[in-house]
Amino acid sequence: MTLSRRAATEAWRLLGHLKETLGHPRRASWAVRSRRCRQCLCFMRKMLAAVSRVLSGASQKPASRVLVASRNFANDATFEIKKCDLHRLEEGPPVTTVLTREDGLKYYRMMQTVRRMELKADQLYKQKIIRGFCHLCDGQEACCVGLEAGINPTDHLITAYRAHGFTFTRGLSVREILAELTGRKGGCAKGKGGSMHMYAKNFYGGNGIVGAQGQIFEAYNMAALWKLPCIFICENNRYGMGTSVERAAASTDYYKRGDFIPGLRVDGMDILCVREATRFAAAYCRSGKGPILMELQTYRYHGHSMSDPGVSYRTREEIQEVRSKSDPIMLLKDRMVNSNLASVEELKEIDVEVRKEIEDAAQFATADPEPPLEELGYHIYSSDPPFEVRGANQWIKFKSVS
Amino acid sequence: MAVVAATAGWLLRLRAAGAEGHWRRFRGVGLARGFLHPSTTVEDAAQRRQVAHFTFQPDPEPREYGQTQKMNLFQSVTSALDNSLAKDPTAVIFGEDVAFGGVFRCTVGLRDKYGKDRVFNTPLCEQGIVGFGIGIAVTGATAIAEIQFADYIFPAFDQIVNEAAKYRYRSGDLFNCGSLTIRSPWGCVGHGALYHSQSPEAFFAHCPGIKVVIPRSPFQAKGLLLSCIEDKNPCIFFEPKILYRAAAEQVPIEPYNIPLSQAEVIQEGSDVTLVAWGTQVHVIREVASMAKEKLGVSCEVIDLRTIIPWDVDTVCKSVIKTGRLLISHEAPLTGGFASEISSTVQEECFLNLEAPISRVCGYDTPFPHIFEPFYIPDKWKCYDALRKMINY
Repeated sequence: MTLSRRAATEAWRLLGHLKETLGHPRRASWAVRSRRCRQCLCFMRKMLAAVSRVLSGASQKPASRVLVASRNFANDATFEIKKCDLHRLEEGPPVTTVLTREDGLKYYRMMQTVRRMELKADQLYKQKIIRGFCHLCDGQEACCVGLEAGINPTDHLITAYRAHGFTFTRGLSVREILAELTGRKGGCAKGKGGSMHMYAKNFYGGNGIVGAQGQIFEAYNMAALWKLPCIFICENNRYGMGTSVERAAASTDYYKRGDFIPGLRVDGMDILCVREATRFAAAYCRSGKGPILMELQTYRYHGHSMSDPGVSYRTREEIQEVRSKSDPIMLLKDRMVNSNLASVEELKEIDVEVRKEIEDAAQFATADPEPPLEELGYHIYSSDPPFEVRGANQWIKFKSVS
Repeated sequence: MAVVAATAGWLLRLRAAGAEGHWRRFRGVGLARGFLHPSTTVEDAAQRRQVAHFTFQPDPEPREYGQTQKMNLFQSVTSALDNSLAKDPTAVIFGEDVAFGGVFRCTVGLRDKYGKDRVFNTPLCEQGIVGFGIGIAVTGATAIAEIQFADYIFPAFDQIVNEAAKYRYRSGDLFNCGSLTIRSPWGCVGHGALYHSQSPEAFFAHCPGIKVVIPRSPFQAKGLLLSCIEDKNPCIFFEPKILYRAAAEQVPIEPYNIPLSQAEVIQEGSDVTLVAWGTQVHVIREVASMAKEKLGVSCEVIDLRTIIPWDVDTVCKSVIKTGRLLISHEAPLTGGFASEISSTVQEECFLNLEAPISRVCGYDTPFPHIFEPFYIPDKWKCYDALRKMINY
């Protein structure tokens, strides 16, 4: 039993006594002069000084944890979520969901990690440590974390170029992701893929796909024809590069564009909504009914890629408005704090830890050596004796090892 | 009366053709006649071209692979696919119309034997066929896709070049679609016109990451196709459609492999090297015998077999020996694969060359309909180029 705990309980007791004394009509005027009250005030001041000393030492975890543990958090809470628009479906995902404290903290940490990682990638890009293409997904954290929460690790995921969030939620560490962005050996594709080509177990990238309007309809056709258990997901962040969806699409009801494939439109800024919709869609597919389409209405704060400032086709006010009203991390935090699932300090603590993790990862990504030049020709083919690849002139040859 | 006269004339012409030893396409079996000759009225027969531009020369019966059977090209392809599906439980065949046997009968009987889960039709979308093939190859199955004609492979070009070829490289060897093989009928056929006669191997030669293979005969086709299927890289296997029925020889029933990226020296020689692939090999073989007979020139005939990665060593060794090179293909001259061979050979063997490297190819036009006999690099054009090289 540490000093602070005793001090805390003593403080409560004395504060209770003080309240009683002050509350009493006759005794109140005597309050300060009473020896007992002077004693209690003195004690309180000393205790508060001790507590503040203790709290100011940030590394002294036991103290703060003890203080926090003395507060009782709810184990879980039920929340209402927005109803999804449905296409060719009789019922949709449920409108209420239960969030446990553990899950809430996990989602918060994951979303915060993705957010910080994207911001760090932005910073590194501006310092020219990351080159090439970089498509950031801050603002869309609820999509990747919510999706992962609704599926199993053994399910397979494939996505397009805005892939950093998915790469993280599918199991790769921030170190590997940042090292791949900076093109170093420690990256997940050994530095040869870059931002758009990150792969992990049951995660097939990361694809620099462009212009797939026709291909998607071919895929819808095949999936529906053969009843493949496939969830098609459209992260609708309102802009295709620099063109708003109203100017690019004859029909912006993307969840209906599957035509013969059922679809749902989900609020992609609310992680619980995404999670429930994903669970619903996964159950639909697993029951053998065939493919389903999910449109997640979300928003990206950055431009399309790092070469796009993001403000030439939309106003800063719009970005600010979304950031203040529907930021996914803020929404989750408010929900958890208001339902007593976590405290503000606890979440702040997670922020600090995440920040440190990202710093370490950025440090590693900057300091790791690049892959050696010999690897330029590797893995073009799978070949048993390595064979020669010609270079820019007839005297330069690389070995292709695989 | 006119009919009788026409028939008599037709028969006489046939005999004359027979005397020169050219292949008579009328002798095709049953349905073949319907394919090779859309109309079968006797009056038209007299005006139609009677002979093909080549004579198929079968190779001697192979003894080292066990029992053999007389098969033509499409039967040898069926045999190879049969062996693959039997050996590899994850192998699947898909494409347009493959279920009933295929428009060229290359997959006859396979659906009945192996089930509709393993031999199935896809919708009419080449991009989707190859994209789908890449997907199942990445998960580990052996995917054998069919594109109905090589002319239709262009919608799938993006999938092949941007996805299939680069999968292994961009994921640092984490994932690959090596178990994908794309088979497609290829080359001129006598009446194919613009969209049933193309030879697109040069487009794919420009793409590191895939292999392109073209056989010249049923024996070669089965061995090379089995090698492509087993190769751990995505392969495109072009089958010369004019040889589907025209080429018949003894082919082993058991599976066997012919190594990829190895050219074959069919005939040794000392004066000129002739390089070709697919149907054109038979044309240059005839040119070689013509040159021997009329000019006393000894030609070395090489079948390239694999277009990329191609066997630079065999060709260069041959050119160092002979000093003269003639390359021939049906595809248009500009940017055709002969230009790559020519360029590399002059880099490697410059001082050995006695004459400029000669390329006898199709014209730089779309593959014509009525002008096909003028367009294709037949034996006379090749012979003429060879003569010019000898007299340089």
